[in-house]
Amino acid sequence: MSEKEKILSIQDLSVRFNLRGRVLHAIRGLSLDVYRGESLAIVGESGCGKSVLNKNLIGLLDNNGFIDGGSIRYYGLKKDTAHPELYGEDDNGVYADLTKFKKERDWLKIRGKEVCMILQDPMTSLNPLKTIGAQIAEAIRLHQGLRGRALKEAVLQIMRDVRIDDPERRYKQYPHEFSGGMRQRVVIAIAIACKPKILICDEPTTALDVTIQAQVLYLIKELKAKYNLTVIFITHDLGVVANIADRVAVMYAGDIVEIGMAEEIYYDPKHPYTWALLSSLPQLGVKGEDLFSIKGTPPNLFTEIHGDAFAARNQQALKIDFVERPPYFEVSPTHKAKTWLLDPRAPKVEPPRIIQKLKSEGGAVNE
Amino acid sequence: MLKYLAKRLGRSFITLIIILTIVFVLMRQMPIEGYFPNFDKMTKEQIQNGLELMGMDKPMPVQVLNFFKDLFTKGDLGTSRIYRNNVPVTEILAPKLPVSVKLGSLALIVALLVGIPMGTLMAKYKGGLFDHLGTAFIVFIEAVPAAVYYLFIQLYGTEFLGISLIFDMNDPKAWILPVFSLSLGNIAYYAMWLRRYMVDESTKDYVQLAKIKGVSKNRIMFQHVFRNAFVPLAQYIPTSFLNTVVGSIYIESLYAIPGMGGLLVDVVKKQDNNMVQGIVLVFACVGVVGLVFGDLLMVLLDPRISLGSKGGNR
Repeated sequence: MSEKEKILSIQDLSVRFNLRGRVLHAIRGLSLDVYRGESLAIVGESGCGKSVLNKNLIGLLDNNGFIDGGSIRYYGLKKDTAHPELYGEDDNGVYADLTKFKKERDWLKIRGKEVCMILQDPMTSLNPLKTIGAQIAEAIRLHQGLRGRALKEAVLQIMRDVRIDDPERRYKQYPHEFSGGMRQRVVIAIAIACKPKILICDEPTTALDVTIQAQVLYLIKELKAKYNLTVIFITHDLGVVANIADRVAVMYAGDIVEIGMAEEIYYDPKHPYTWALLSSLPQLGVKGEDLFSIKGTPPNLFTEIHGDAFAARNQQALKIDFVERPPYFEVSPTHKAKTWLLDPRAPKVEPPRIIQKLKSEGGAVNE
Repeated sequence: MLKYLAKRLGRSFITLIIILTIVFVLMRQMPIEGYFPNFDKMTKEQIQNGLELMGMDKPMPVQVLNFFKDLFTKGDLGTSRIYRNNVPVTEILAPKLPVSVKLGSLALIVALLVGIPMGTLMAKYKGGLFDHLGTAFIVFIEAVPAAVYYLFIQLYGTEFLGISLIFDMNDPKAWILPVFSLSLGNIAYYAMWLRRYMVDESTKDYVQLAKIKGVSKNRIMFQHVFRNAFVPLAQYIPTSFLNTVVGSIYIESLYAIPGMGGLLVDVVKKQDNNMVQGIVLVFACVGVVGLVFGDLLMVLLDPRISLGSKGGNR
């Protein structure tokens, strides 16, 4: 992993929201490195901050949200001498600190051509009154500066790339003439047309039919290879990411509690929350038994959290889990988890039976 | 498209016939004083003669048929008996209608030219000073009875422009105040709804995607948000034109404009049945045509609405 080049480095990021006079701490000191060309999946339940984290990468944080600490270093922009305050340099090279980007003018340098995003619901993410061709063309004109004939050719080419049949005819059609799966292809085409370096997929298949999901995921995988993209998947479905992600980050209550290569997370998880998440996969259920579900609810982020955020829902929580927040413990050079269980002084707690079974079988999660 | 248009116009025509028939039959139920200017001094025989002369002794269906026959062959809407004795209704309306239409269309053009930019700017700078001022203006216009500020506009406006209170059709300056007054309501209407639709649109996912792909805020506002927000409003433009023409009663009487705004009320009060019929026909025509245009405008602007096919997408 150390061979790989960092494209993005988030350090100790903290994001808060003002809500009706109270302050919600949505991202609590999160750190994450993203490497060029990898595909990283961020998993976690609703409200854990997955989307908020990614909105920070593209400058679309809601108006009541603000960053109150940390940095997001993006290594891919040339230093703009007109605004040196936005840039810095470390041993990995020149970076732009996205937490300092405030004005639209700054963000327009990032949006589209550096970082692009696919939204969850393709039914609403296209302008109903513009033709598919015009919407893809808008992105190409903006980022590749093509006009006229060449522009149309480029649009048709991208439509072929995302496997839209008969692009000449489809070019002139409107979104309502497309099915959900086809619309998501159009959205992907728009994202690709920007030629981004990082593509964020915010639950790209949640709103789609199960039969279509696999196709869309396969398409993203294919395009990633073709255009040399770095892909960040946001999802709450561990099954979906199993066969497309190189690395998996598990998020809970605004922090990444465990991160590692996909095999490490699936076959040798260390954090009790990851255990719980995996145990609740319906694919792993035993016929005749109730499916596992995590008791309780995520912590209230309006109040300060002491110790491990998951402790209250963890039946095997240690005393220290309620007192002090665990640091990262390295399991392997690529795998680390924030749990006191990995401390040498900790008592030995066995993972649930399902997890042990996974480990011994090295079994397929996504069957 | 043409087939749909023909079908649509055919239906509108039938609608008009039905409206006219109903109005005609209802008018015939009114006391017959409405057909004679000096009813009180007439003898029974004179009245009977008069009715026969007008064909009113015949059975109702025959009267209806005769009315339509005259209308379609001679363009005859009947004759005014009381408002002006023995003058054809069409002759009375002919000079008045263009005045009202001119006033109404000027007012609508002003309303669109002012209201649309105003709504757009309010939406763009939502929560800012301009938005607050605009909202205050809209609330004022909507809440205060029009008669109050119409009066003030006339009083101070004529003084400011240095013109007389009485309207002179040939003086372009004289049109300013009536047109301005008449447009105020529509300015508020278009600004209010456009702002609201634009604010709604700008929270939609496709706007988010446009931002993500790197489109600037200004471009998003005009290329995506404005156009989409304008579609539902476009439908009402023809109808509001009608309302402006019909609703100018107060303005026309205030400035003594020789239009047809106050005419309907006038002739209803005077029980001039033929006049009522004629004016209702004109209003119904404008109304029905307005609706057809509104729908056509929608089809042109919104690709989701297709002509002719059953079961839309909306």
